[in-house]
Amino acid sequence: MTNISIEAPETVRGQPYPGAPDNWRRFFTFSTDHKVIGIQYIVTSFFFFLIGGTFSMIMRGELITPDADLVDRTVYNALFTMHGSVMLFLWTFPVLVGLGNYLVPLMIGARDMAFPRLNAVSFWMIPVVGVLMLSSFLVPGGPSQSGWWAYPPVSLQNPTGNLINGQVLWILAVAVSGVSSIMGGVNFVTTIFRMRAPGMTWFRTPAFVWSVLAAQLIQLYGLPALTGGAVMLLLDITIGTSFFAPERGGNPVLYQHFFWFYSHPAVYVMVLPAFGIFSEVLPVHARKPLFGYRVIAASSILITVVSGSVWVHHMFASATPSWMRILFMVTSMLVAIPSGIKVFGWVATIWGGKIRFTTPMLFALGGISNWLFAGITGIFLASVPIDIHVNNTYFVVGHFHYVLYGAIVMGIYAAIYHWFPKMTGRMYYEGLGKLHFALTYLGTALTFLPMHPAGLMGLPRRVASYDLEFAYWNVIASIGGFLLGLSTLPFILNMVSSWIRGEKVGNNPWRAYGLEWLTSSPPTVENFEELPIVVSGPYGYGRSRPLVGNIPNPGLTEFPESLTQQKS
Amino acid sequence: MMKLRAILIMTVYGILVTLASLWMAKQSYSWFPPEASAEAKLLDDLFSLFTGLGTFIYLGVIGPFLYSLIFHRASKYDMSDGPPIEGNIWLEIVWTATPLILVLTLAFVSYRTYEKMAVRGPMELVHLHMPQMMQSAYAEPFDSKPQQEIQNALITAPIEQVDVIAKQWAWVFHYPKQDITSTELHLPVNRRVRFTLHSEDVLHGFYIPAFRLKQDVVPNHEINFELTPVKTGTYRLRDSMFSGTYFAANQADVVVQPLDEYQQWLADAASQSPTPAFNRAVFEYSKANDREGATKDKVAVRGWDTIPPASPPVVNYAP
Amino acid sequence: MTAERANPSGELRNAQEVEVNVRHHQEHDAAGNSKFGFIAFLLSESVIFLSFFAGYIVYKTTTPDWYPSGVTGLETREPFINTLVLVSSSFVIYVAERYLHDKKLWGFRLFLLVTMAMGSYFLFGQAMEWRSLPFGYQSGLFGGTFFLLTGFHGLHVLTGILLQTLMLGRSFMPGNYDNGFFGVEATSLFWHFVDVIWIVLYTLIYVWQ
Repeated sequence: MTNISIEAPETVRGQPYPGAPDNWRRFFTFSTDHKVIGIQYIVTSFFFFLIGGTFSMIMRGELITPDADLVDRTVYNALFTMHGSVMLFLWTFPVLVGLGNYLVPLMIGARDMAFPRLNAVSFWMIPVVGVLMLSSFLVPGGPSQSGWWAYPPVSLQNPTGNLINGQVLWILAVAVSGVSSIMGGVNFVTTIFRMRAPGMTWFRTPAFVWSVLAAQLIQLYGLPALTGGAVMLLLDITIGTSFFAPERGGNPVLYQHFFWFYSHPAVYVMVLPAFGIFSEVLPVHARKPLFGYRVIAASSILITVVSGSVWVHHMFASATPSWMRILFMVTSMLVAIPSGIKVFGWVATIWGGKIRFTTPMLFALGGISNWLFAGITGIFLASVPIDIHVNNTYFVVGHFHYVLYGAIVMGIYAAIYHWFPKMTGRMYYEGLGKLHFALTYLGTALTFLPMHPAGLMGLPRRVASYDLEFAYWNVIASIGGFLLGLSTLPFILNMVSSWIRGEKVGNNPWRAYGLEWLTSSPPTVENFEELPIVVSGPYGYGRSRPLVGNIPNPGLTEFPESLTQQKS
Repeated sequence: MMKLRAILIMTVYGILVTLASLWMAKQSYSWFPPEASAEAKLLDDLFSLFTGLGTFIYLGVIGPFLYSLIFHRASKYDMSDGPPIEGNIWLEIVWTATPLILVLTLAFVSYRTYEKMAVRGPMELVHLHMPQMMQSAYAEPFDSKPQQEIQNALITAPIEQVDVIAKQWAWVFHYPKQDITSTELHLPVNRRVRFTLHSEDVLHGFYIPAFRLKQDVVPNHEINFELTPVKTGTYRLRDSMFSGTYFAANQADVVVQPLDEYQQWLADAASQSPTPAFNRAVFEYSKANDREGATKDKVAVRGWDTIPPASPPVVNYAP
Repeated sequence: MTAERANPSGELRNAQEVEVNVRHHQEHDAAGNSKFGFIAFLLSESVIFLSFFAGYIVYKTTTPDWYPSGVTGLETREPFINTLVLVSSSFVIYVAERYLHDKKLWGFRLFLLVTMAMGSYFLFGQAMEWRSLPFGYQSGLFGGTFFLLTGFHGLHVLTGILLQTLMLGRSFMPGNYDNGFFGVEATSLFWHFVDVIWIVLYTLIYVWQ
């Protein structure tokens, strides 16, 4: 055997670096460390989550009475547009990119992302997007009021006649966010394909990494279509081309194809990492291997493939010919199969395990139960006749908030709690965490469940006023909405206080099985003292087999009994 | 013994889930507005089927899930791991194949319902010469009553034609045979009605929840849309596609009446000369721009500029 | 920090497999990553063009009056010459790359310069064509899509030429190619990409009339 040296990191490490892991100032610099960038992403996007949440609570305040009496209709329309845009482009996308950024290199045993500088540039575009998006409140005419879809011709109508108006700023913000996401996509895909640690074959790669790969592949093939549509929309608004302007002979429905070709798969960009989080959290807190790991991993890629051919189900009511309706009904329903595989796999994972109700576990379980419900209403929506009735009603709003809040935000919370000890070296407060979970779960059900019956009764989405018959469900939803707003308080308190003075825990407080738990907490700048050499697949619970060959792995290779004695 | 108990528990739970699903399927009919069209009955049946199956799946998964959460918890000092089961090929095949069969069945049933509705819709917008699926619109049904109603309506009388004009923010209904206009949609019961949908500005959504039908209205395109009202009464037509500032106020009443009353209404309307109708958007817009008026503080937060509403429609009949 | 050190721990069951992997891992050099990432980027970028093409096809097949009044079609002769120039420039930049491969810098610079000249000629031809057209970007869907497609492609040609200028400038820096020449490879790849897009575009706009 010859001497093979694995990539000498000393040269990189020797460079002056903006702060060691214990220096908080590094979070305010143009750091190229994926862990710093990951936390930058998470914190920044959480700030925007609070802003988007504030918008939604003003909306719920308006909707607590049938008349449009709290804010003017234009303000309401701007609020739901900004709520959707901020929540998607400034919260859900970036926070998941942040989690991926933090975890993927650690999980695959790499020292950083493939392109660290590009990574930092991607992140610093997010504040730019935020400024562009929110500055539209200050221009004459206010922010875009055409919904986050920005469907023409409404989005082409420009009451002020100014060139710099809310809609133009919105398109620019989305374009910058798109550039950031494409760069992120290139970075993730390259990292996952080429930088996995020695010995980490595809089927030794954690399910979370698979799901991030699947999601980022969607970004790469889907986002450019939205960019194309956005460019044409921008030209229509600014220089008077006629692509989507019906009065000039354009075709507004074509925009919807451009938009949904990306924006439906975009849902999977967001939900796939959440699936990955569930797949990581459950085995740790149920002490059992992920059931059907290979199938769960591969089903992520299957979702990537299928999601490219389902977009027309958003357009069943919009001038879509019958053959297209039927074709896309079948393809959309097929998404239930990879999703089903995952849910069944998770249930089988916890079955017969040693379950502990830690906060991340609670969030993961809550997220799965919500996803199950949302998945079933999703099949309803795929059916053409049902969709013709409920399309553009609150049924849809309820459905996708169950996906976005019920499953994805719950997944994000699960991830933050689960990896909090890794990111900070400290433990969060369990009591506050459980309170947070209870408020979030209850709030989700109260807010989004009543939207389903309201939609079935025929309440259109995006209305600022409604008929009296819908008041009952709306009042409940509003109360739930305020509860959700309240639910963030114990979380913020928990995170801040635990980061400052939480109990110091070791490198692996969960006794979890995974490369990220082998290094120190928080990990050093280059993640690993020496690159791990992976000798077995993930989730080896109950087998006491080593995960890597060259780093001692206490708590996993030893018998668990010894650990019990150490603890007590 | 353990195995017997497990089988017993599963059987009991299976029966309970089935009963609950049946109950939910029955219950689902009450979640809707009145069934005012033959198409609504078709949709409600389909929805009931989905609800039943959906409940079955939900409870079927959530039962074992909760069971496991209750009975498979680690005791406080139990630091051991669970059994290292990594998968089961047969189980995985079963739970891949079952949803596949299920969704294909649901897709097929949905397709049949859609065929029976025969709502026409926009076939002209994209000229791709695909096989016309509507040809077999009257295929063999599995619940023939609503379909029979559609067919009867078609046999007994010619299709009633109504032109629908949507704009920011008003609905105008034009009856071409009598050449009268109205801001309230009147329809004869048990007649097949064909709407021709026009938009004068942006996308709108022609949506009558009691009919369970919806079609976006696209500017520059005439879209035909058919349905069969079967129940008299007054229902609500709502704009379902966001159309700008006063979108939420863009609603109209739909009156389904017996044939003689309907014809009487047509005759009455024809005798009236066209006058501007009340329009909610115009009303609110003028109030908001009335700088001196005391109505300014009707809302807590004032708004931004908006596209002005189209002038109130001039119609023969307004409620 | 060697694989050797990992072995004596005795935990490696499949030492040979791991060694192969370590070897493999070493080849994951930075330039390889960059190349992989750049190809991923180009594939993604091509989807923008694909969506524009799809839009063009839908518009052309569904619009009743495709050409603005007074326009019957497009002149194809000069665009064809332009096409020939652009397509052959792809071969020229390939030759330049070969020269660089053989460390013949002057040959590389010469052929890169020729590529840039051909690219510029293409842009010049495009500009001439634009000026002589009887319609503008506001002339209905045809005008809009024509200028969108040719303009967006022209922007890419311009980017390609700028990249080539950069590469030409960098070739005068001593020791620039000591660590490989990923920049030149990427520039060349980009140029081929721009070429292929043009062939599709030419077929759609000029051939299919």
